[in-house]
Amino acid sequence: MFKGEFSTAQLKADLSASWAIAKKDMRIYYIKPGTLMFAILFPLFMYLSFAVGKNAPAATLIPGLISITILFSASSIGPMVIPTERRVKTFERLLSAPISFYSVILGKTLGGFLFSLAIAIVPLLIGLACFGTQILSLLGLILGLALPAFCFATFGIMFASFPTENPGDIMLLLNFVRLPLIFISGLYIPIESLPDWGQAIAALSPLTYANDLIRYTLEAKTTYGPALDSIMLLLFTAVFLFIGRRLDKKFRK
Amino acid sequence: MGIVPEISNVYDDLSAWDNLMFTGELYQVEKSERKRRAKELLETFGLYDRRNDKAKDFSKGMKRRLTIAMGLINNPHLLFLDEPTSGLDVQSVLIIKNVVRQLNKTGVTIFLTTHDIEEANVTCDRVAIIHKGKIAAIDTPERLKKTIQSVQSIEVAFDKASQNIMKELESILTVSEVRKEGDKFRLYTNDPATALTGIWEYAKTNNLKPITINTLGPSLEDVFVKITGLDVKAERRNFHV
Repeated sequence: MFKGEFSTAQLKADLSASWAIAKKDMRIYYIKPGTLMFAILFPLFMYLSFAVGKNAPAATLIPGLISITILFSASSIGPMVIPTERRVKTFERLLSAPISFYSVILGKTLGGFLFSLAIAIVPLLIGLACFGTQILSLLGLILGLALPAFCFATFGIMFASFPTENPGDIMLLLNFVRLPLIFISGLYIPIESLPDWGQAIAALSPLTYANDLIRYTLEAKTTYGPALDSIMLLLFTAVFLFIGRRLDKKFRK
Repeated sequence: MGIVPEISNVYDDLSAWDNLMFTGELYQVEKSERKRRAKELLETFGLYDRRNDKAKDFSKGMKRRLTIAMGLINNPHLLFLDEPTSGLDVQSVLIIKNVVRQLNKTGVTIFLTTHDIEEANVTCDRVAIIHKGKIAAIDTPERLKKTIQSVQSIEVAFDKASQNIMKELESILTVSEVRKEGDKFRLYTNDPATALTGIWEYAKTNNLKPITINTLGPSLEDVFVKITGLDVKAERRNFHV
């Protein structure tokens, strides 16, 4: 079977390999006290440091906290795992296996996706238990968590395409993009309150649509509507995957 | 196809067993076959008793054995081995060489990359010498040696040696080059009979007792030196300890 040639058997093999990669990554990298604490505490303090002191009711902080938690946990996994595996040459093992490149990327993405979903439950539970947060639609909530988690996992993978063996190099680059996203995506100031140019910039951020979708599922408030939020997140996911692949090809040459 | 790179790229945080199970999944080996094969490979490579230990606790040789076992989990017909025994302990080298021989007997084609020319000489059916990224020669080891039949040598060891022994041996008639190999000296000549006479005379004059004397044909290393144009004398002149 040539790489790129489609067959059901190859697709099944690719998906099975992706799942094996995700399971392996979760065992090795994610289910460690340090990783878990970093994924929960860092976004929590980051968010609270800007949100505390505002006159908004506590329950309205929860969607933003969930969004930022998903952004940080999902997008950190690729940049942490892939350079590390490049350094110890285990990434070569995956690339030399009889599976497609996208299967490897899907495996890495799945790991970040599942990890961030598990982490996002923490602020959700805090909201449900302490601040009267309500789940308006279970299906909506699942979509509201899954789409941003998958989108931000591919966002991290795209950055991980830079050919370095040091996770710190990518984290530095990633934070140059990730931190500004927090301030332009309507987490602290509602999109509607932003000037026209602010709204235009917000529309370019995937975090805007993630936050809007989560806000819709927990507060029934939305700027763009759940359909547009979902489409935009899917579109961003496709763009991140495409750019990641192009970067990988370019740097591999 | 199985690929075993030069670096032992095992997952340090997984046990030997889990490393094999993961590789099996990656190569779509059925679960029951995966387990059977993993047990068989761990036994073959002498790691079965340590199957539940994480690879980070393994020695360099054990990691190397595990890496090769991972490359064999899918029963490949074609195996690429990059420097399989470089820098390993004796036990690991013996196990790996034995496995390579057994695999070859069962019909597995093995591409072995090595800088150890003697390993290539005793292990391979065909040898390709790569120089500056291109195949400079490819044939069986013995046929390659035949191409430089003119290069013959005498290996000699004396009970004692003077400080200038290298220069003195080089001055023997028909000896073109002398190399020190451990406590032995290898004298290159195109006329072993004349050189032998010279060695005897040299020993007698200097009151030396020869412990070993062997006449040798060209080695694969000689072929390599000739083909790649490596100037050993110049290299030696430039190499100061």
